[in-house]
Amino acid sequence: MTGGTDLPRTAIAGEHLAKRFGHVRALIDASVTVRPGEVVALFGDNGAGKSTLLKILLGIHRPDNGTLIVADQEVRPHSIREVQELGVDCVHQDLALAPDLSVVDNMYLGHEIVRKGLMGRLGVVARREMTARADAALRELSIKLPSLSVPVSDLSGGQRQAVAVARAVMWSRTSVLMDEPTAALGARQSAIVCELMRTVASRGLGVLVVSHDLPRVLKVADRVSVLWRGRTALEEPAGNLTVPDVVAAMVGYNAEAS
Amino acid sequence: MTATADERDPTNLDDAADTRGVPKASLVTRWLASGGTWVLLLDVALVIVFTALSSNHVFWSLQDFQALMLDGTETLLLALGIAMFLGAGAIDISVGSNLVLSSVLGAEVMAHVAGTADAKGNYPHVLGTLALGFAVCIVAGVVYGMVNGLIIAYFRVNSLIATLGTAGVGTGIALLITGGNDIAGLPTAIQSDFGLFTAGPIPLPALVALAIGVGLWVVLRTTRYGVRTLAIGSLRLAAERAGLRVPRHLFSLAVLCGLLAGIAGFVDLSHFASTTVNGHTNDALAAITAVVIGGTRLEGGKVSLPGTLWGTGLSVVLQGGLVVIGVAPFWQLIAVGTVLIVAVCLDRVRFRRRAAG
Repeated sequence: MTGGTDLPRTAIAGEHLAKRFGHVRALIDASVTVRPGEVVALFGDNGAGKSTLLKILLGIHRPDNGTLIVADQEVRPHSIREVQELGVDCVHQDLALAPDLSVVDNMYLGHEIVRKGLMGRLGVVARREMTARADAALRELSIKLPSLSVPVSDLSGGQRQAVAVARAVMWSRTSVLMDEPTAALGARQSAIVCELMRTVASRGLGVLVVSHDLPRVLKVADRVSVLWRGRTALEEPAGNLTVPDVVAAMVGYNAEAS
Repeated sequence: MTATADERDPTNLDDAADTRGVPKASLVTRWLASGGTWVLLLDVALVIVFTALSSNHVFWSLQDFQALMLDGTETLLLALGIAMFLGAGAIDISVGSNLVLSSVLGAEVMAHVAGTADAKGNYPHVLGTLALGFAVCIVAGVVYGMVNGLIIAYFRVNSLIATLGTAGVGTGIALLITGGNDIAGLPTAIQSDFGLFTAGPIPLPALVALAIGVGLWVVLRTTRYGVRTLAIGSLRLAAERAGLRVPRHLFSLAVLCGLLAGIAGFVDLSHFASTTVNGHTNDALAAITAVVIGGTRLEGGKVSLPGTLWGTGLSVVLQGGLVVIGVAPFWQLIAVGTVLIVAVCLDRVRFRRRAAG
């Protein structure tokens, strides 16, 4: 939600990242760059290192090698909290929301607004204000819900994912990472989430999407990055690519041919 | 996933407007549907039944209710702590042991500083002695809770196992200090000025426990702390991903449990003006029973503090009522156990229906 004039050149990026878990070399030399206002798709077969890359960008893992850049600054985060303070947030495939909490409480979890004065110092939350703001944020993304005070477990899968996206957008100032945001959804709801990616990017945020849903995500992405066995095998504007091109890169056809 | 939304609003892209998420029900409906309410109704029914059955309706008397409230106070204090902790998905079964250890330490200190009574049975500096005893009980309870919290939150040991272990250690220490004998002969002012003191019709300790219960209810429903507690119990991973400091939060809840057990320890002293080191082996189970009957979910994420109060009331009313109508009070154990099983079964059925729906 940065103003349009002073956007950084890079929203979030990882350069030449390497990470080893015991004997497993999850990442060898992976790079990805997301600029403000653009949707970058990160593809890769199972075990290519997508999750590891994402977790490094989120500060959950620390890379053995390589650099991390958030809003043009090189950073060395030690926790997910530090990354969040830099304005990066993530939409997880599932398990992103607390099912027993209401939509409002979920959207503000960890960022609760407290009342003014003594009540606030005692940690009393301003639920009315939170509800109003959450409602506005959901409206801006054209997300419709029957009620914001129902527990999230009463919502459908698509609604839940929409809330998770709205939550991430609300708290991110530089970029939103999305881990398989459509994996659990039907066709129509996937389309909604893809539409949301464009909406989010149009507000000047960088969007990085990890997905297996090649056709749909290829359509909304500006650029594509493909991982193959821990290395970046392909980085191209999405317009130049077809699904078979991406699949070829994903299974290492390009790398073996060259 | 549904076709209905398309027909309703074809211009809008989102079937996120589908109505499977129904609007919030009215306050009355929710109250009736909440797990704790039927326990309250059961309490009321039992009071009526016992009153009808007791000769001359002696069950319906102020003394009787005061006695019941005093009996329930300690269980309620322990149950409130357990309910809050269960909200975050963890449990403390060492509260009974904590109560005993705290009361033993408080009694030891009071016995040392109380001095000797004069001819009329009055001790010098009674007030200071009681205040010190209270402080010792609380500090002991809190330290006990800190140990639990350290093991559960930072060493990430399952809370059941952690507190099972500390329960044994705590009881052992209490027995070592006392040699298994109760410390008696505390200043009787602890009874007259607190334990058996009544404010209006309500015994002071019960009033304190109720006030704490109301306070915790406000914390749970209106504060950041309450929201985060339920978030951790609902889905710990989501809470972690939201950037909450989960270990620190669990630690604070364990300390809260300890604090309440410490207060319960002082209440215990004030009830009999002595310790009862062997009388609390079932306290933790009674408290957990009250909490679960009241509709608090064992897996976390859902807490009913009013239900906890009604659940505590159930075991107390049963215990007192069976005595009054001349039935062996052992039936109380059977009755409470049965209610517990029924409550949990009902909860499972509801849970499954919801998961399926």
